[in-house]
Amino acid sequence: MDPSATGIQEPFDLIRLSLSERVFVKLRGDREVTGILHAYDGHMNLILSDVEETIMIVDTENAPDGTVNVAKRKMEMLFVRGDGVILVSPPSRA
Amino acid sequence: MDETTPPPPPEEHSPPPPPPQSHTGSPTDFLKGVVGKRVIVRLTSGVDYQGILSCLDGYMNIALEQTEEHVNGAITNRYGDAFIRGNNVLYISAAETI
Repeated sequence: MDPSATGIQEPFDLIRLSLSERVFVKLRGDREVTGILHAYDGHMNLILSDVEETIMIVDTENAPDGTVNVAKRKMEMLFVRGDGVILVSPPSRA
Repeated sequence: MDETTPPPPPEEHSPPPPPPQSHTGSPTDFLKGVVGKRVIVRLTSGVDYQGILSCLDGYMNIALEQTEEHVNGAITNRYGDAFIRGNNVLYISAAETI
């Protein structure tokens, strides 16, 4: 087997190998969350704990373009509906 | 057409059209060919992900390795591994010869 493949046959294997790990999730609407992945399903519905959400807000009204305000908030436990998910990145395992 | 006089020998007539190239294949053949290669995945949002295509499934969910996120040509993020949910994918482009 290709050593770089590390036993990944389908994309969901990447998620399965990230259970109980901290993952980065990019969501629609310029939002990102990081949290410990507890569960997922085929829709990419996710259960995360110890979550920090980052919301990027581009202020086109008052500020010159390029200015991005960032809002953060923390949540203990979060259900993410799968259709909002763009990208999931597991912790980099060297 | 007058067939009595033989026409002059055609000077190096261009060869017949080449047989169909091996890169006429189905989309599935293309995807099989790019697994393990560098690809550029563009999402409908316009964001590009360049990396090595680990695998993909029937929903076009994609697993990438050594991924760079490009927005407007600038690298905005790097991920060791990345799972991209298929509904966001606009296209998958081969970034090296397949």
